[in-house]
Order: sequence, then C-alpha cells, then structure tokens
Amino acid sequence: MEFRLSAQEENLRKNVERFVLDQLIPLEPEFANAPDIFEGSRWKSRVKSSDDPEIKRYLGIMEGLRRKAEEEGLWHLDVPKHYGGLEVSNVALIAVTEELEKSSVPFELGNHVSNILYGCTGEQIEKYLWPCIRGEKTSAFGLSEPASGADPSMMQTTATPDGEFFVINGTKMFPTFADVADFVQLFARLPGTSGRDGVTCFLIDTGAPGYSIARSIATIAGSEPCELIFENCRVHKSQVLGEVGKGWALNQAWLGARRFQVGIRAHGKSARVLRIVRDLVRHDEKARDRWASTIGHFLGETEALRTLTYLGAWKADQKLDVRAEAANVKLFATELLHRVIDFALEVAGPSGLRKNHFLARAFRHARATRIVEGPSEIQRHIIQRALFREGIAGLELS
Amino acid sequence: MDLKLTEEEQLIRNTAAQFVDKELISREGDYLRQDTRFLPPGAPVRRRLQPAVSAELAERARQAGLWSLEIPEKLGGSPLSVVARVLVHREFGRAILPFRPVSIPAFLFDTPHGEKLATGELSLALAFEEAHKTGELSATQILYRQEPDGTTLRDSSIFVSNSAANLFLFPAREQGSDRLGLFLIERDAPGVTIADEVDLTTDATVARLILQQCKVPNDRLLGYEYEAGEIIAAEQLNMAARSLGIAMRCLASAIEHARNRVTFGRRLAERQAIQWMLADLSVDIRTCTWLTLEAASRADQELTYFDEAALAKKRATKMAFEAADSAIQIHGGYGVCKEFPFEGFYREARLMRLLYGRENELDRAAGEKFLKQ
Repeated sequence: MEFRLSAQEENLRKNVERFVLDQLIPLEPEFANAPDIFEGSRWKSRVKSSDDPEIKRYLGIMEGLRRKAEEEGLWHLDVPKHYGGLEVSNVALIAVTEELEKSSVPFELGNHVSNILYGCTGEQIEKYLWPCIRGEKTSAFGLSEPASGADPSMMQTTATPDGEFFVINGTKMFPTFADVADFVQLFARLPGTSGRDGVTCFLIDTGAPGYSIARSIATIAGSEPCELIFENCRVHKSQVLGEVGKGWALNQAWLGARRFQVGIRAHGKSARVLRIVRDLVRHDEKARDRWASTIGHFLGETEALRTLTYLGAWKADQKLDVRAEAANVKLFATELLHRVIDFALEVAGPSGLRKNHFLARAFRHARATRIVEGPSEIQRHIIQRALFREGIAGLELS
Repeated sequence: MDLKLTEEEQLIRNTAAQFVDKELISREGDYLRQDTRFLPPGAPVRRRLQPAVSAELAERARQAGLWSLEIPEKLGGSPLSVVARVLVHREFGRAILPFRPVSIPAFLFDTPHGEKLATGELSLALAFEEAHKTGELSATQILYRQEPDGTTLRDSSIFVSNSAANLFLFPAREQGSDRLGLFLIERDAPGVTIADEVDLTTDATVARLILQQCKVPNDRLLGYEYEAGEIIAAEQLNMAARSLGIAMRCLASAIEHARNRVTFGRRLAERQAIQWMLADLSVDIRTCTWLTLEAASRADQELTYFDEAALAKKRATKMAFEAADSAIQIHGGYGVCKEFPFEGFYREARLMRLLYGRENELDRAAGEKFLKQ
C-alpha cells in the first residue's frame, strides 16, 4: 500500500504549485474585489459580450494566465494522448486541482472538454471535438427537464426517427452556459420507450432551426442556467453521439467523472474558509478559545474529504466501479462545505454576509452544490443501493 | 499511489481474518450465551473469557503469528509494518470475544524484560491516564527526580486498566524541567501498590496504580517524549483499526437483518429511514478506513503521523459507536440483548472514544495548532 504520488505525478504537482505561487497568489488582492462573474475559468454569459472596462480587464488577466499556463505545458492535462494531450491520471488531476485551490483566484487549467465528446466519430471529431480541445467551442449539457431532475430516466423529450433525421420535441432545464455555448449535448428518448431505454445523445448546434434558448435563469449561486426549447427540431442522424438508444451510459459517464473534482474543490474551499476564520479570530483571544475546537473538528473533516477523494480517483484510475465512491465524495464534500461555511458565518457575524465578501459568495455558491449534478438524497440512494446489492464487499480492501 | 494491498499485506490480513472467524467468532455463541434461566438481581455481571479458553487462544494465536505483532526477529517474532498491524487489529475488531494481539512497544524488547515479554511470561499494562483526556501528556502528574543512586517518583495514584499485568509502563515528568520520561516498573517493586479494582461497563476493569515512597534504579527510565508519543499514536491506530472491524461487522449484520425482517408488509431494506442510516454509516467506514491506513502508511514511511493517527482514532471510534448504535436500532429488541454482540460493541466503542484523546480535546488541540500558524 502506497499513498504517495508517483514521481511523474509529483513533478506535475510541483509545477502547478509553482504556477500558483508565481502567478495566482500575487493576483489575490486584485481578485478580492472582483465582480462576481467567474465560475472557474469560465465567465458568465452576459460577461463575454460586456463593454464594461473593469470586466474586460479581468477577462484580460484570465487570458494572460491561460497563455502562461499553455507556455508551461499545463493546459491539456486531461486531454487523451491521441489528441495531443498529456492524459494524466485522475489522481494527478486531483493533485493539480488541490494546488490550484490553494489560491482564491478562480483560475482552472484546461478547456474542460466534456469527457463524452471523446466518443465523437467521423465528422463529429473535426466539427466538435477538436474545436473544444482547442478552446474554440464550448458545449452545454442538456439532461434535466421541468419534470425530471434527480431522476433523469423520467425525461420526456422525444427524438422521433424520420428517414435520415430525428425530430426533437421537448424542454430542457438548467444547462449552464447554453446561451454562450456553440452546441448542446442533448438527451432525448425514442418514442415509446421509458426509463433508461431509448435514451439517445445528440449534438445540436446553437441556432439550429427548432432549437431556441428561451432564457437564462438567475440562481442563488450566481450561475445562470438556461431553459432550452426544442420544437420540431430536425437533426441529421450523423449528429448522434455514440449509438442510437445507448445514451444513458453517456450521461452517467459525464456525471461520474466530475465527482472527484467536486470533492477536491470543496476540500480547497473549505480549507480557505477555515483560514479566513483564523484571520477573523487572530487578535481576539476569547474568540480563539471559543471556536478552537470547532475549527479543529472541521480541519479534520476537511482532511478526511481529501483522503476520500484521492481514494476515489485512484479507484477510477484502476478502472474499477466507482459509483459508490463517487456518490460518497459528492455527498461528503458538498455537505461538509455547507457546514463549514455555515460555521464561518457564525464566527464572522453579519459582516460576513456583505455582498462581495468571500464568505457571502461561498455561502451562496455552496448551497447549489448540494443539488446540482445529483442532490445529496440521490447520492445516499446510490450508496444504499450498492450496499444492499453487494453487502460490505464494496468496502473491503483488496 | 497504489492502494492495493501488497501480497504480504494480503497474507497477514487473510491469516488474521481466518483466525478471527475460526477461533473467535465461532466461540461467540458460547461466550454470549446466558447460562441461567433467570438472572440474579442487580446490574448484569461482567463477562469473562474462561482462563483455559484464553490460554488456548493465546497459544493458537502464537502459532499463527498473531499473539503479538511487535516482537523482533532476534526474539523469534516477525515484526509487522504499521499498515499490517492495522489490518490485523481491524480483523480482531469484528469479534466480541475479548481477545486480541498484545501490544508491546518495540523498545521494551531491548530491556532485560524483553525476552519474557516476548514469551508471554510477563505481561504489560500501559498507565497513560493523563493521555486519555487530551491525547498528549502535558498534564502528566507523576514527577521524577534522578539522583546517582536511583530515581525518586513522587507519591501519586493513577488509573490503570489491565491491572493484572506484571509490568507497568507510565510517563512521568522531571521535577524542575519539562522533560518527559517513560518508566517501566514491576508490580512487586517497593512502593508500588495496585488497588481498588472495579468493573467498567465494558467487561474490563480499572484499578489504581499507587506509588508511595517509590524509588527505582535509574535504568528504569526507558524513553522520552518521542517514545511516549509513539505509544499514544500506536494505541490510537489500534483503536481506529479495531473500530473499523466493529463497524464492518455491525454494518454487515444490519444489512442482513434489514433484508429479512418485514414490517407492515415491507422489508426493512426498502425503508428509506433504514437505508440512510446504513448509507451514512458506509460513508463513514470508507472515510475512516482510508484515514487510518494513510496514517499507518505515513508511520511506515517515517513521515510525521501523530496528528493523522489522532484524527483517525477520533473519527473511527465515533464511527464504531454509531455503527453499534445503528445495528442495535435496526435489530430492535434483539439489538439490546446480551446474546447478540451489538450492545457489547456499543459499550466498548463508548469507552474507546474516551481513551487517548476525547473528541472535543483532540479537536481543540488541532484547532489551536492551526490558529498558531
């Protein structure tokens, strides 16, 4: 049993650590008062076309960081070797994010190509995959609907075959960034199917006839998901990603890959929140005494989350079934972050809720994470299902 | 990273698992059985393993290489890595029978008592009372003063479990300095009395180790702060490992019972209240498993690991307690019966949470350390 990173992974981690120290930490004062426009390296829809010089300045800074990261060979870490990337392990990607999260500057490495797009075939590769790898195109993910969220098998959007085409009808809720994306990965079912059967994934260009983006929707988290409407949208069969009727596995793969990143981000954020708490009580002996043990408790929980996340990533690298681990990490991470921030606000008092305060933002953003990509209750459901299916075997050491 | 068990680790884990199944769990029925039809009045009596059974188990454990895990090669042992020790104690945790490998700090084998400790002729008790509150020894009350003709220990009285032991290892602080020393004294040494043995609620006992005008030869001072820290960390890891075994056993039984038991026309396994109890427990088991193994692995690689061991202990013992609690709840009336192992695990886990650092104190120590950074 060996918990250390391999030499190669450690090397990468060190490079990112240096990048964070040299490039991100010096920018922290700058970003302390930045407008709430960032979600990772991506920025919100309105922002992209903003004329506000202040916003443009921040976008310029982000662009500069991207160039530097590219120069240092840190940009295409998760891209398969076949497409010119480094294809580093899941464990390495966790180590990378762990380093990035040490800074409050919301910068991420890479273009975050939706992992299921590596299943593109034929012309799809030139049209969607390569532009996404190069950062020229972005995608949205259309799974949830007005009446099906946590349980996507209830989706009602239909794709009716019509010769060489499919005709799509239905409404999709909450795809983030759809309004600025170049295309959507849309899930719809073949007529007469139910449950997981017949689900098919289509790549549909923004602006395709019959596909309209009704609106973007303000949320507590500052993200702006969209509502998409498909009205007799005719899509050629060459736009099917993977096989017709085999789309269920794709949406599960897309969700699964993200869980461990959610874990390590929550770890980093939780650690930063605790550092803020430390700063708040630094000169107040009474407060230090009052909160020391709660701080210690949350430090331990944060450490536990880190260990759990690395375990899951390692298991994913071994190509083992990680559904239970992934659910575990998602549940633990988002619930912990919520509790840490809730505690930090108790220490900070009302001033912690000033609109641009780090804690206020963290508070709003964290609330959504307990819902997005599968609410906590669904994670518990997945975990108990595995328990009653396999007993304790999934917890055994091998 | 490679979180698979090595072949060696698998081998020792499987050996321990077989021993626990074959020798311990198979005897549980006898051990737990109520031997009178009606009970005498008063609190339930302490359960004991028959001395003959105990001796037989010790002999079999010795044959399997599981009697003590720290004996060095020169005394006929094969000391295990810390990870391997965790794997062994984790297996022993599954059994309610009060039998487990004897823990002897490795440096004691270099003392004149080493050989007899290795054969089991002499037994050892740790008297680390002060460490039970905070997980460290700043509150150590016994003071010592070294002089050319021997070391004087100030009159004191501390709690000790396993009070039937022949040898007692305890920390003391040097008078007038902050230096911590570890002393090993014999039960029958002048000035040493063991008194007031009382039952704990866990089928174990606690007694007082009383020092009165106790003066010992200078060679009884065997270690300092770091050795004491190592002993605490080792005990914490043992308890964390044992807790994992308890929790796995409780979870497995609770799943089994929930699959079979029917209420109002549906199996318990279909009830969300039950499903979530067990889901949350499994999250905790997974987390504690890897925290414990990571701390152990750090110890093997000679990295710092005391804080990690304390965290593993804190979380794992609480987990074991909650596992037993859930198992009792799901088993209903059977859960609280002494013929089932769960109430025993419940009592044991409650005690473990109070040993080598209480939760709030460990949290406080971690928090204060962080606030100083």
